[in-house]
Amino acid sequence: MPISFTVNHRPATTAADPAVPLLRVLREELGLTGTKQGCDEEGECGACTVLLDGQPVRACLTAVGKVAGRTVLTVEGLGGADHLDSVQEAFIAAGAVQCGYCTPGMLMAAKALLDREPNPSEIDILDALDGHLCRCTGYASIIRAVKLAAAPPPTIPSGADRRADSVDKVTGRARYVEDIPMPAMLYAAVLRSPHPHARLLTLTTDRAAQMPGVVRVFTAADIPGINGFPSYSQEEPVLTPVGQTVRMIGAPVALLVAQTPQAAAAALKNIEANYEVLPHTYEVDEALDTGAYPIAGTKNILTTFQVRHGDIDSAMGSAAEVVAARYETAYLAHGAIEREAVLGYLDDESRITVIGGNHEPHNQQGYIADVLGLQREQVRVIQPPTGGSFGSRQDPWPFVAVGLMVYHLRQPVRLVYTRRESFDAAPKRHPYKTDIRIGATRDGRLTAIQENILANTGAYDSGGQFIPNFAVTASGGPYRWQAVDATATTVYTNGCKAGQFRGFGTSQAVFATECALDELVQRLRMDPLEFRLQNRLLQGERSFLGYPVADSLGFEQALEALRPHYDAYSAEAKAFNEESDGSMRRAVGLAGMWYRFGKSGTLRVEAYAELARDGGLVIYCSAPDYGQGTNTSMNQIAAAALGVPRENVTLVNADSARVPDSGIQGASRATFFVGGAVSLAAENLKNAILGVAAEMLDVAPDQLQLTGAGVTATGDPTRLVTLVEIAREFDRIGKSRRLAGVFDLSDRFPAGMRPEYLPLFVTGAQVAQVQVDLRTGEARVVRVAAAHDVGRVVNRTDARGQVEGAIVMGLGAALMEEYLPGETTGFRNYYLPTIKAIPQMDIVLVEVPSIFSPLGVKGLGEAPLLPATPAIINGISRAIGVRLRTIPATPERVLAAILGKP
Amino acid sequence: MTTYCVPGSISEALEILGRYDGDALIIAGGTDVLPDIRKGKRSPRCLVDITHIPGLDQITVAREYVEVGAAVTFSALAQHPYLQSHVQALVDAAAAVGSADIQNAATWAGNLVQALPAADGAVVALALEAQVLVHDKDGMRGLPVARLFAGPGRSFVDPTRQIITAVRFRIPERPWGTGWRRIGRRDSLVLPILNCATVLELAGGHIIRAAIALGPVAPTPFRATAAEEFLIGQPPGDEAFAEAARLVQRESNPRSSRARASREYRLAALPALVLDALTLASRRAQEKLELQRRERTG
Ligand code: FES
Ligand code: FES
Repeated sequence: MPISFTVNHRPATTAADPAVPLLRVLREELGLTGTKQGCDEEGECGACTVLLDGQPVRACLTAVGKVAGRTVLTVEGLGGADHLDSVQEAFIAAGAVQCGYCTPGMLMAAKALLDREPNPSEIDILDALDGHLCRCTGYASIIRAVKLAAAPPPTIPSGADRRADSVDKVTGRARYVEDIPMPAMLYAAVLRSPHPHARLLTLTTDRAAQMPGVVRVFTAADIPGINGFPSYSQEEPVLTPVGQTVRMIGAPVALLVAQTPQAAAAALKNIEANYEVLPHTYEVDEALDTGAYPIAGTKNILTTFQVRHGDIDSAMGSAAEVVAARYETAYLAHGAIEREAVLGYLDDESRITVIGGNHEPHNQQGYIADVLGLQREQVRVIQPPTGGSFGSRQDPWPFVAVGLMVYHLRQPVRLVYTRRESFDAAPKRHPYKTDIRIGATRDGRLTAIQENILANTGAYDSGGQFIPNFAVTASGGPYRWQAVDATATTVYTNGCKAGQFRGFGTSQAVFATECALDELVQRLRMDPLEFRLQNRLLQGERSFLGYPVADSLGFEQALEALRPHYDAYSAEAKAFNEESDGSMRRAVGLAGMWYRFGKSGTLRVEAYAELARDGGLVIYCSAPDYGQGTNTSMNQIAAAALGVPRENVTLVNADSARVPDSGIQGASRATFFVGGAVSLAAENLKNAILGVAAEMLDVAPDQLQLTGAGVTATGDPTRLVTLVEIAREFDRIGKSRRLAGVFDLSDRFPAGMRPEYLPLFVTGAQVAQVQVDLRTGEARVVRVAAAHDVGRVVNRTDARGQVEGAIVMGLGAALMEEYLPGETTGFRNYYLPTIKAIPQMDIVLVEVPSIFSPLGVKGLGEAPLLPATPAIINGISRAIGVRLRTIPATPERVLAAILGKP
Repeated sequence: MTTYCVPGSISEALEILGRYDGDALIIAGGTDVLPDIRKGKRSPRCLVDITHIPGLDQITVAREYVEVGAAVTFSALAQHPYLQSHVQALVDAAAAVGSADIQNAATWAGNLVQALPAADGAVVALALEAQVLVHDKDGMRGLPVARLFAGPGRSFVDPTRQIITAVRFRIPERPWGTGWRRIGRRDSLVLPILNCATVLELAGGHIIRAAIALGPVAPTPFRATAAEEFLIGQPPGDEAFAEAARLVQRESNPRSSRARASREYRLAALPALVLDALTLASRRAQEKLELQRRERTG
């Protein structure tokens, strides 16, 4: 019997099995794809929340039979683009929409709260939004949004910082990969290794291929080009051939395509794979043992990097205090709420076209072309709206896999990982074991740093080859050292492959250094802030890397900006402890950092600005937006350079067929490099437009003004030409309407200079006030203040949002997150911070402009993650009076430290 | 294709269960059942949704007992004024299950049938010495929650043949209070490392009844009877509670879990948890005592 109900004020009917989750009916049958799925329909993420008779419920846990005769409201029913509900308005205005994947669930929960309680308290808000995971915002802006929506009348700010795509994201119109409809779509599933290490002996696909609904099964033999993407990841096959080894649980062995996702998943079990199980290890120490079973590389080593200068023995010898310890960090998962999802099809020029969140459309284009044995031009990669990345979406694997299936089938194919698959097979953050030794003189001058970092790259390279350089570089910090001897090595194990993760290998190194520094400071009985000020590196001084840093360093300004917070937090902690019966204790931890940004790709980045025939102003660039907001910042930078309102600028971003190659977007380089090129292109276009208009109006260019619609003479608005007329004039006189902007640092950093990476650094520091239950080891972070030098702020709301998101991510790493290969199966046992875990946050953006950027900007996205974790751990160590050196600081670890257990 | 039935009475629901002879399954919120179906752990031919049976969505506060209907959601429990001011442990436990939007669907009775060793609803039910009212073809009976659990994830109530219609617990005559304390790897959407519910009843400056329930320290939710016995006759206070906490530690037998915590940690943290929950219960009982005193004198 069909089930009838009301959805978004309209009647709906479904013939679905009543035991099917409402979520599937909404998305697949009714096309209401605004409601998202972030977990395996287990109620673990909150992305799917809708209102049932006004009450929020999880659509993945609601049998559709239950809604018969009832009323369902989804995000699409909240308010359309032209009549947004005040809660939608408030989310946009407060910057609460970053990637937007958690947004529909958050909006529905907030809507129900505000309907029930128009003036909610902070606690009401936390209770209502609790259990909705957001990985981007750190929740703070979402709380502000709900308060803003409740404040009568809504005081919506002017919107200079408004996200370009936020209206689509709050109305459910944004089409992420899982939401894009395609005729004749096929669905892929992946057969993966159940063993951490094994040899694939046989692989039989016939039975599976004959299953109902199955279109085809692919194995390594179906790959026409290279079975891998070696420029990104050495020795990582797309599909493991028979006779070779799978090196991790989740290693891909075969691809299966069927007419429905259910048929694909069901048929997978009928592929017969036989393995010879081999010894395995998840630990770097074991993998490096002389008798260790070979996994990959030479003696299980991928790469090594070392920095050495000064006389280490005498510098260490001159120290009055030396701290020597081992610090360990856990495997982390990115936890983007959108699962890995990629869609491929043939575009109207018959190109293999692959849509999926990524950092480098042109590189992905190249990987796919190589696997298929095609020319690059026969492949196209497009960035859709993306539900977060944090580095995870640099993995070429889903792109080449989908490319391969479309190549053979000439039909649209979509691949979506299950959340379980995402945990098993998508790249993770490298766990580190760092042996560090640092010394200082009695009066608190740092002398020497000696360290050895072992980074666990897991089963495959996945970009891990570049990790040692980043690890070592970050570990020195913005400090002056007399002598340095630092080495990092990436080691193969049978853990999940580790890849790019926000900070790219730097957070784990900064954790060790900043914790060791704090220990040293305590031994010297000095003030941690003064100590860092005293040892800070100055512009032009020889750095940890052995060469001087030419750019400005805002570290001093950041520390000074933190001082009032540090003092206030310390005084508050002292007062708290005096009141406490001794079971609870508060303390304050501090950590600094530097981060070398802009690493990847070339020193020369290009963007175009065009005056379209219809008078539009169009920017072409490649700064993929996976939720962090580059669509908005590029738009803002272009509008500022053109001197027109943002609405007048159209952005074409991150489509390999339409925009210039800007290399891999990583290391927080987008605003600095691509933003620089966009700004120059826009400026060039403006000058060209004014030049042509000057001729047309017979007025000197400096007497003219560009507006969104045309050019007018200053002081005489009646003298004007429209942009359409100017475009026509360009064409008449044969002048190109498309101008390039080239941001090029090659002459500033001539070849042959020592670093293979640019010496561009951002600095910052954070303080965290923590509270520990000394009887149970439970730790909470009460307050965090962060001060970061961003060069110059482009979008204050977004910059703040990036810092808040990073702090909470750092809190997760400090207190709760740990991925265990083969054991972590979902968000139920991978603990992302939830809304009640977040501290009060005080964010200071310090602006010390970069001398290398025409905009003065520096890279921000990753830096604030780095000091968050050590600041929190330093706070806990001070609270319990014992040094914690392994994270996450679970209640168990903290209590063991208090009780003096190893 | 599953059949979805919405019976209007308990007898109708029983009739459906009988007709399907083990192939129909009772659901209320369905938040546990749906994932089980997807994973193939259960494959009922019929779902029997009891949330439309009149009366099952009621919370009844009588003079001597409280009765919570099987269709009452955790949200409704947590928002109930009487429970908020008299049975805080139940309110706190209800608010610890999943998240707000899960609490809007999930029920106490459903939580009890799942019988997980750490189920928040089960631990608090045990401390309240609640019983479930079970209907089946042989009629209706009350089953103490303490006798409900057959093992981890297994209960003696079979939702393909039996219906829990309500959970009922006694309101003590003497001044009483409840306490709840939970430790988890984070605040929400996570099973506890440890949870503890306590009930204390006072008279004449002494404890006359104590209940301490915990999870997961045994295969099923656990009553710390030795500690409870010790407390009887003791004056409420840190000293007695600390000793009780030590006794609880001695009678508990938790297991290690990689994703949550080790046995050693659970044992080490347990005393503080019990102490906190007892202190809360005692404070609330004393507040009631104070109130009674004032009422008598005023
Ligand atoms: S999809 Fe429903 S909670 Fe994750
Ligand atoms: S904005 Fe919340 S998950 Fe991205």
